[in-house]
Amino acid sequence: MNTSKTQNGFMLLFVGMDWHKGLSPEQTQKVSEDWMAWFKGLMEKGKAVAGHPLGFEGKSVSGKNRTVTDGPFAEAKEAIGGYFMLDVATMDEAVEIARQCPGLPFGAKVEVRPVLPNCPLAPENKVEEALAGAK
Amino acid sequence: MNALEMSNDGYLLLFHTNEWWKDLGREDLEKYDAQSNEWIEQLLKSGKAAGGQGLGRNGAIISGKNGRNIIDGPFAESKEVVGGYLLLNVETFEEAVAIAKTAPNLAWGTKVEVRPLINVCPAKARLEELKREELATA
Repeated sequence: MNTSKTQNGFMLLFVGMDWHKGLSPEQTQKVSEDWMAWFKGLMEKGKAVAGHPLGFEGKSVSGKNRTVTDGPFAEAKEAIGGYFMLDVATMDEAVEIARQCPGLPFGAKVEVRPVLPNCPLAPENKVEEALAGAK
Repeated sequence: MNALEMSNDGYLLLFHTNEWWKDLGREDLEKYDAQSNEWIEQLLKSGKAAGGQGLGRNGAIISGKNGRNIIDGPFAESKEVVGGYLLLNVETFEEAVAIAKTAPNLAWGTKVEVRPLINVCPAKARLEELKREELATA
């Protein structure tokens, strides 16, 4: 993973995992193809640097006792179905890209979030040091 | 990272969090910072983690046809949002959950969601399901 590329970039989170349930096979085929074409186009232009759908199954860990529960989602419509990492400089450009999401007409939601350059969760320098050390 | 990444399996940890750090004093924050740095470093060094980042609380939510509805952040302080993610290079759910259980931010109320990365788009999987149903009833 090229962390420097995604530094100061944006993450698109695709919210909702049930919006395609009511679609016909033709619509499903179309939205699926449109989505792949959208992602490939963004990758080719260098606007997207990574992306992945997520499986519906999941676990959630919380609390001081580190309790594990099945299925982290309140509802399928709020579950995150996948993400793209965007290498764009402004929120406006990230929002413009998000607005092209082929799932939007069917009820998908896209959350656009800026990637923090430095956070205790995963400081860039630590990531890069570790990756350099691993080579 | 390139398009090939689409076919790699693995797990994603999503950290759901409010702004708990605003209530912490310097000492607690320093302790947390050291703990989480060590946690991440160990996971990266062992190759269990492939990368991760924090996400800012400002942002936007886009919905509706042609993306006509845009809600602009930042999100309220108390609202739980995805505050960051970590990609894990592990093979089983068990191992991913075991790693999630060691996250230092759990002590401060963060919830860690563990999700498998899949190589089939959910819409496409649904299409396959519909096709199978059609065949079954034909």
